Amino acid sequence: MSYAQRDTPILAKLCTLLVEDQYGELASRIFTVLARHGRQTLPSIVRASYLNSRQIKYGLIVLIQQHLVFHSSFLDPTTTYYEIDWQQAYSLVRYGKILKAVEDRFGGKAANVMSNLIALGHTRIQDLREAYFPPSDNNSDAGSDSGRVNGKVNGHKPNGTANGANGHNNGHSNGHGEGEEDVNDLTIQSEEELDAIIHHLMLEGWIIRVDEIQYLSPGDIQGMVQREVLGEQHDGKMPSGVKAKEQMVFEINSRKRAMRDDWCRVPKCNSRKRLASDPDFSRTTKRLKQGALEWQPRDANNIVMLESGLVIRTNPEKISVALRTEQLVHLVEQRLGPVTAKIYEVMLRLMETTIARAYEPYADPPPSDPDAMGPEVQDKHLVTAQDVAKKLDKDLDILDGLDPYHVVRLVEADTRVRYDTTNRQINPPVDPTTLSYQTRTKVIDCHIRRLADDPFHFTTWHSRAGFSQWHVEFDELSKSLIQHEIETTIQSRGGDRGPLGVKLIRALKKKGKLDERQTCNTMMMPAGEIRQIANEMAVQGFVQTQEIPKVERREAKHSIHLIWYDRQRAREKLLHDTYKGMIRILQRIAFEKEKVRELLNKAERSDVVGNEEKWLSQDELSVLRKWKEVQDKLLLQLLREDDLVATLRDHTGPLTSP
Amino acid sequence: MASASVAAPEAVKRDEDEALDQARTQQERMEQLYQKCAEAPEGTVFFQRDLANMAIANMQELVVILQELVDRHLMKIMQFDGEPCWKVRTKEEAERLRKLTPEERLLYHHIDQVQADGIWSKALRMRTNVTTQMLNKCLKSLESKDLVQSVMSVKHPNRKMYLLKHLRPSEDIAGGPWQSEGEFDMPLIRIVAEVVEKIIEKETCLEVPGNWNDYPRAATQDRSAEIARKKAQQKEVMDIEDTPVRTFRPPRDPNRITTVLRDSPKYPTATSLRDAINNANIIKDKSLSVADMEQLLEMMVLEGRLEKIMGNNYRLASRALSTQENFNGFVDAPCGNCPVFEICSDEGEISARTCVYFGEWLDTESEAV
Ligand code: SF4
Repeated sequence: MSYAQRDTPILAKLCTLLVEDQYGELASRIFTVLARHGRQTLPSIVRASYLNSRQIKYGLIVLIQQHLVFHSSFLDPTTTYYEIDWQQAYSLVRYGKILKAVEDRFGGKAANVMSNLIALGHTRIQDLREAYFPPSDNNSDAGSDSGRVNGKVNGHKPNGTANGANGHNNGHSNGHGEGEEDVNDLTIQSEEELDAIIHHLMLEGWIIRVDEIQYLSPGDIQGMVQREVLGEQHDGKMPSGVKAKEQMVFEINSRKRAMRDDWCRVPKCNSRKRLASDPDFSRTTKRLKQGALEWQPRDANNIVMLESGLVIRTNPEKISVALRTEQLVHLVEQRLGPVTAKIYEVMLRLMETTIARAYEPYADPPPSDPDAMGPEVQDKHLVTAQDVAKKLDKDLDILDGLDPYHVVRLVEADTRVRYDTTNRQINPPVDPTTLSYQTRTKVIDCHIRRLADDPFHFTTWHSRAGFSQWHVEFDELSKSLIQHEIETTIQSRGGDRGPLGVKLIRALKKKGKLDERQTCNTMMMPAGEIRQIANEMAVQGFVQTQEIPKVERREAKHSIHLIWYDRQRAREKLLHDTYKGMIRILQRIAFEKEKVRELLNKAERSDVVGNEEKWLSQDELSVLRKWKEVQDKLLLQLLREDDLVATLRDHTGPLTSP
Repeated sequence: MASASVAAPEAVKRDEDEALDQARTQQERMEQLYQKCAEAPEGTVFFQRDLANMAIANMQELVVILQELVDRHLMKIMQFDGEPCWKVRTKEEAERLRKLTPEERLLYHHIDQVQADGIWSKALRMRTNVTTQMLNKCLKSLESKDLVQSVMSVKHPNRKMYLLKHLRPSEDIAGGPWQSEGEFDMPLIRIVAEVVEKIIEKETCLEVPGNWNDYPRAATQDRSAEIARKKAQQKEVMDIEDTPVRTFRPPRDPNRITTVLRDSPKYPTATSLRDAINNANIIKDKSLSVADMEQLLEMMVLEGRLEKIMGNNYRLASRALSTQENFNGFVDAPCGNCPVFEICSDEGEISARTCVYFGEWLDTESEAV
C-alpha cells in the first residue's frame, strides 16, 4: 500500500482539520467518525455520531464527490462500507500547488479548467461544457453542479473559483492583481478549446478517467483482484507453495497496475476537420505552448471532440511528480547554481509527461539478480542536451557558473576569445544568446555533466545515440533527498552543535553500528565531545542505541554501547513531527482567526465589501491587514511543511537497507 | 645508536690524557665520567668500549665506577644486542629516584623496561607481585614525582598504560599521528584539514569576478537576441509566477567573486595530499601514511567540507548546508525547534493557542495561561 494511504493518529488529526476547514462541520463530523472507527456502514456511523441518517447521507455525498471517502457499494450494494481515502484527504492542502504546477506548465487557461475540476471533485465532460457555456434554453439536463459553477467560471482567475472558500490553497499567490488578468485574457473561448485543454491535460497525465473501482478502498481492491486471480488460476483456493504464492502476488500487482494504467489512458477521441467558422483557438494553444513543455504534436487542422459522457477527475498522484521536480531543482540551485538548476528543470519536466506517479506502490519484487537484467530505462525517460536546448529559455546566461578557460574552448567554433588572467575577464565578451545551436548544446551538455558529477548524481549517463542520453535515477535520488532533509533538520535544530550532529549521522550511515571507540576514530574526535550530541540525537529519535552486556552482572560500565542510525526510523519520526507541526500551524490559524472573528464578519458583510475604507475605522483596517499578514505567513509555512512531507513520504518506498 | 658515542671519545681524547693524571680519586673520576657522558646528545647509549675510550679510567676502575653510578641512579644499565650498555640520567632525576621506596623503585624499574610501549597496570602487578593497594599507592606517588605518566590505550580504551614521564607514547598505545596522549589532537587536525582544504581548492576551483564575461546586457544591436528577449517577455506574462522576472541574470559586480569548479581538473588524491603535508613539515616528528591521510579526508567528507567523486578523488564540497538560510518548512517554523515540542498538545497549557514562540514569530498575542 502506498505510503500516503497509511493512516496514523497524527495524520487523522491533520486531515480532520483540513476537511473541517474546507467542507464545514457536517462533513468533518462524519469524517471524524470514520477516522476514529475506521471502516463503517451507514447505521454504525449513525450510532457513533449523534447525527441522523439524512444528515449523514448528505455529508457522505459531499465527501464522496470529493473522493475523500471510499465506498464499497460496487462490490455489494446491500451493505455499503465507507472508509477514508487518506491520500486524497491529505491532498486538500495541495490543491493550490496543483493549480500552480499546471499553470507553470500549461498556462492560465489550463489552470482555470483544473481549478473547476478540483472544485467539482469529478464531472462529466458535458456538465463541464455547460458550466462554461450555459445553453441558451434552460431545459438542459445539466446537473445541479453545473448550475453552481455556471457564471462563476469563465473569465476568472483559477484561484478565484476553486479556492474562494478556503484560504490555504491560495497561499501567497494571492498577490496577483486584477490588472494582470486584463493583459492576459484567460477566458476560454469555446467548447472546442475547452476540450482541447482537457485532452491535453489527459495526455500529460494530470486528468484521468473516473472508474467505479476508484471508489473502492485499497483493501477492497486487493480483495477483489485476489478473488479474481484465485478464481481464475487457483480454483478459488489459496495456493500453498511458496512459489505459487509469489506467483499470485505477482499476478495481483500486475493486474492492479493494468487497471490503474487504464484509468490514465486517454480515450480515443473523435476529431473533425476544422471548419473556417470554428474559432481559431490553435493560436491560443500555441501561445500556451511557450510556457509549456510538451504539447503532444497535434494536427492543427483537426479538432478534438471528447465524448460528452466521459467522467473525469484530477490524477491524485501526479502532483507528487511535480513536487519532486521542484524539490530537486531547488536542491540543484543551492548546490550548483541557478543556471544549472534551470537546465535541470527543463530535463525533469521533459520526463514528467510519461511519469504518472513518483512512486510505484505495486511494483514487482526486485529480480533476484538485478545485474543480470542490466539497467532498464525506458526510452521515454531519456533526455539529451539537444532536447534541453530546444526548450530552454533562450535568454538564460548559460555560460554563467562555468570555468572561463573552458568557456573559451567551448565557444571556439563560434568566436575566438581568450581569458585575460590579469583582469580575469573574457576578451571580447561572449553574449550567450548569440551562440549557435551547436555551441549552445555543447554548453548545456557541460551543465548536465556537472549534474552527473555531483555526489547526489542528479542525472546519469545512459547511452550514446549520436549525443549522450541521460536519465535520472529517481529512486536513489529520492532516498538522498530524504537523507538531506534529515540532515537539514538536525543541522537547524542543533544550533551550534548542529554540524556535529550531522557529522555523527553521516558517520553512522556510512559505518553502521559503532561502539564508542569506533565512533571516535571515524569522526576523529575525543569521546567526550561526541557523547552529548549522541544522547541528544537519541532523545530526538534520530539515533538508536543498544547496550550489550559483557559481564554477567550487566554492569553498564562493562557493557559495549552501540549506536547506529536507522534511516527509515528517522524518516518516520521526522514525518510524524512534520505532521504535528502542520497541525499546530492550522490550530494557530484558527486561534488567530478567532481573535478577529467579529471584525471579519463585519468586513464580509455585503455592504462593506468594496467599501472597506468607508465602513471600517483605521484601527479596524490595520487589524485586518495584520490578520492577513499573519495568515499568509502561516499558510506559506504550512505549504513548505507539505513540501517536506512530499519528500519524506511520496517519492520512495520504505528504506530497508541503511 | 652507538655511532654517536664513537665520535665523542675521539674528539676529547687528547685533552683527557692530562685529566687522567689529575683524576686522583675514584670519586673525581666518577664525576668526570658522568660529566663526559652527560655532554653527549640526549639519549646516547654508551658501551663499555666507548666509556673506556674516554680515557678516564681503566677497565677495572670503570667497572667499579659504573656500578657506583648505577647505584646512585645517575646511570642506567641496559642491554643492547646482548651487550651491556649505559645511559645517563640527569642529576635531578637521580635525586628523585634516590628518594623512592623500594617498591616504588621496583615498579619504576619495570616501567622503565617497556619504554614507549608502556605497561598496563595489571601486567605490572603480575610482574612485580605487589598488592593492588601498594601498586596504586606507588604509581600515584611516582606520577606525583613526575617520574612516570599514565596514558589511556587507544587499542584498549579502558586500559591505563604507564611509561616514563619523558617518553612519547608509541603509536600502539597513543594512536597514529592524529592522536596525542590517547586523544585526538584537535588543534593539529584542524590545522592540517585547513591546509588540505586550501590545496584542494587551488587545484579544483577558480575564482572569477562577477564581470568575467561582460557582454552588453541590453544587446539591442543584436536582432536575434532581441527577438529572444521579446519572446521571453511574452512568456513571462504567460507564466504568472511569484517572481516577475524568471530568467536568471547574474550580477555583474566585479567585486562579487564566485568560486567555480575547474573543468576536468587534476583532482588531488590521498597520496598527493599526504606528500604535500609531509613535505610542508606541518606535523612535528611524525610523518603521515596514506591511510592516515585517507582517514582525515573521509572525516572531512563527513563534515561536509569535501566531496568524494569518482573513486578516490576529492573536491571541495558545495557550501549548500553551511550557507543556507532557510532549512526546511518544518524547522523554519517555531515548532520545528521548539524545546517543548514533545509535550505540546492540542489544547491546554502548552498548545498552539498559548504558544509564546508563535507569538514572537508572528508578533501577535497568545492566550494567557
Ligand atoms: S505550538 Fe508552540 S509550544 Fe507547541 S510545539 Fe509549536 S512552538 Fe512549541
